[in-house]
Amino acid sequence: MRHTLRTAFAGALLCATAFATVPGALAEDLYGPKAENPTMGGSLNMGILVEPPGLDPFHQAAEARIVVSLLMYQGLFYEGAGGEALPLLAESYDVSDDGLVYTIKLRDGVKFHTGQDMTADDVAYSYNYIRDPEHGSPGAGDFAIIDSVEAVDPLTVKFTLSSPNASLPMTLGNKYGAVVPAGTFDDEGAKNKLNFQSVGTGPFKLVEFNPNSNLLMERFEDYWEEGAPYLDEINFAFLPNSASMLVALKNGRIDLVKLDRPQDVEQVSGVDGLTVERWASLNQKPIDLGAETKPLDDVRVRQAIALAVDREEIKNASVGEYGKVIGTMPAGMADAWGVPTADLPNMTRDVEKAKALLAEAGLGDGFDLKLTIINGYDWMDPAAVTLKQQLAEIGIDLSIEKVDIGVWINNFRSKQMGLTFNDWASQPDPNLLFYRHFHKAPEGADFRNWNNDEASQLLDDGRAESDPAKRKEIYAEFQKVMAETVPTIMLFSADHVTVRDEGVKNFSQHPTGWYYGLVRTYLDE
Amino acid sequence: MASYVLKRIGASVLTAFIATILVFLVVRLVPGDVVAQMMGQAGGEAAERSVRAFFGLDQPVYVQYFTWIGNVLQGDLGTSWARGMPVSDMVGSAFMVTLEIGLVTLMVATVIGVPLGVISGIYEGKAIDTVIQAFNLLGLAAPVFWVGLMLLVGVSSLIGWSPPLRFVPPSRSLADNFAILVMPVASLALLQAAAYSQFVRQNVVSALHQEYVRTAVAKGVPVRLIFFKHILRNVMIPIVTFMGLILIQVLGGVVIIESLFALPGLGRLLLSAIETRDYPVVQGALLVVVVAAMVVNLLVDLTYRMIDPRLRVQ
Repeated sequence: MRHTLRTAFAGALLCATAFATVPGALAEDLYGPKAENPTMGGSLNMGILVEPPGLDPFHQAAEARIVVSLLMYQGLFYEGAGGEALPLLAESYDVSDDGLVYTIKLRDGVKFHTGQDMTADDVAYSYNYIRDPEHGSPGAGDFAIIDSVEAVDPLTVKFTLSSPNASLPMTLGNKYGAVVPAGTFDDEGAKNKLNFQSVGTGPFKLVEFNPNSNLLMERFEDYWEEGAPYLDEINFAFLPNSASMLVALKNGRIDLVKLDRPQDVEQVSGVDGLTVERWASLNQKPIDLGAETKPLDDVRVRQAIALAVDREEIKNASVGEYGKVIGTMPAGMADAWGVPTADLPNMTRDVEKAKALLAEAGLGDGFDLKLTIINGYDWMDPAAVTLKQQLAEIGIDLSIEKVDIGVWINNFRSKQMGLTFNDWASQPDPNLLFYRHFHKAPEGADFRNWNNDEASQLLDDGRAESDPAKRKEIYAEFQKVMAETVPTIMLFSADHVTVRDEGVKNFSQHPTGWYYGLVRTYLDE
Repeated sequence: MASYVLKRIGASVLTAFIATILVFLVVRLVPGDVVAQMMGQAGGEAAERSVRAFFGLDQPVYVQYFTWIGNVLQGDLGTSWARGMPVSDMVGSAFMVTLEIGLVTLMVATVIGVPLGVISGIYEGKAIDTVIQAFNLLGLAAPVFWVGLMLLVGVSSLIGWSPPLRFVPPSRSLADNFAILVMPVASLALLQAAAYSQFVRQNVVSALHQEYVRTAVAKGVPVRLIFFKHILRNVMIPIVTFMGLILIQVLGGVVIIESLFALPGLGRLLLSAIETRDYPVVQGALLVVVVAAMVVNLLVDLTYRMIDPRLRVQ
């Protein structure tokens, strides 16, 4: 089976002719739409509320690192907004019939920021480095499916897997790791050096990184894609305080920012010269129902809770208009992979049916339940109060406990959580989204103690299947099982909201929340 | 004098040593360690174990402590777990920012607070005293973050200006440095000047009622001489004590002001390190704060002996 940039895009459309050739080059799908007549040059100031702890894509797990490091470092594939992995440093790839060997042809003429040419040896080094647990990368687990990576010739590299895995290309995207020159980490101080000098192949390279202050990148002159990027410089200013951010935005010290809190957006909407835009996202805010706590181990109780929930009302209380109610798939993936909520059980509010289910479970007189929420997640407070009111209608008295994120993570990972709000996202692939969270242990983490054989089998099938149409069917089936047995109730996806000065043109926000769109952004002033 | 200084330094070192043990233990008591934070809902157990071993977190706490303190004694504060940078660089550059804020704030607060306090004390009960006391009350009552926010929002909406976002040290550009620091220092100095003024006023008032002052007045000593020789000299000791307190307070962290004005200082560094459970940075930063506080206290003590000859005889 041969995949190229074009066929991959066709796959993203998931049409019947998935592997037919689509006319026209589709390179514009990388990083967002190309501009017609961009103004070249200029320096953009972007505000950032949560700063990256460091810039090393191999050892830094923080989301705040990922959002910016992908401008300097590139993996073999790009997370297409439609949910398909598009070749980035790869040019095309073949998969063996047993689905175990991926032979990847590399793009020719790619240079590192160090001036060297990229070869298959560098690719093999980079992925072999990150997947070795000895090297202390928090991303190593993502690459555990790989048995070996070998350079075949200077522009061909061979990945051998332990079992078939259709999301390998997406895994070779830009979340963890990247292609760096072979031997980069030989030097003891290499990790720290990456905070001073970038060694990737990306469109921007590092000029300076000052913790608690700013991150400055400049255009990489030898970047492989002709005419990109448009900007000469991007300066990311770290402002941990949204009041200061809004003042800086109004005074023109900041040209562009992504805001998380609706109340902050309200303050700048309607300000002259500033444009507020909303974008679909891959994040999801669910209620997780850990079956470790009684009576959540009873599926009827979980179904009753699902039937008592009014998603729209919770969303409105939490983020107002800046979000989208979802069923079993984050908003950014719903078109490609979702099942219409009308086709799923337990999605519409039905208080009488919920009461009947509780009565059947022997809990007709009501009971007490604890909901855990997390400090610093603003949306959870109004959502918790709203949920308390909704559950009161079926006789559940909800108490709300607020904990620090460190405590929450410990409880969640050790499965001592019970009922909680959660807030998470993944790359736009159903295997990466569901497998670790919902597959039975030991293959998955099964954080919610769901322990569902049927769902686990579907997750295995979906991972091994490489035909996009068949995969879609398998994951549709999985979503039905999930909706029926309710390990989680996905509530809504909060939109990405960006605010830009009117001089900022052609910026688009990728559904991951990562700042790919800056490669296609220009300043018109 | 030399033996006194040596004794003081010896005591300080002992205190610092005890402080390091406390800090080391306390950061580890905060639930949720750095590995759990890094991995979040991702990663796997094997990867987590290897990351844990990588940071030495699989070792007993006392082994971790002695490894750390051994390195500290050799001048190595270690490497930040969250950032991968040397702790000494991070703490060093953050300390210089905070030290500058501290010293400038101290200077402004002294220049404003001391004269106000002296005037208000000398003219006790007069109209000018009432005005100054009103200022003191306002300065003491208004929370620093509120003053900062009001300055930021107020100036921005009045003249459309807000401080630059990239910190520039005074060595690179004095003008840019001034533009960055003017608002944060003003917010901090208001409180400190008010406290200072109130404090100096009380001391001046009580000095005025002392018998030696009354005697000097009765003897017909010129007012200027009474003021400088009898009042100011006696008020100097509390003034110096107060200077030390202000400096220690500011060095210990002005987290909110640093966040509000995007200043890369020690308070912000410490806060982010605590949030990410970056133990080496928390330990390094607190060690620097402890040592700085001790140095300031030592300087204050030595200054006492210069001002007050009685303390030199021991």
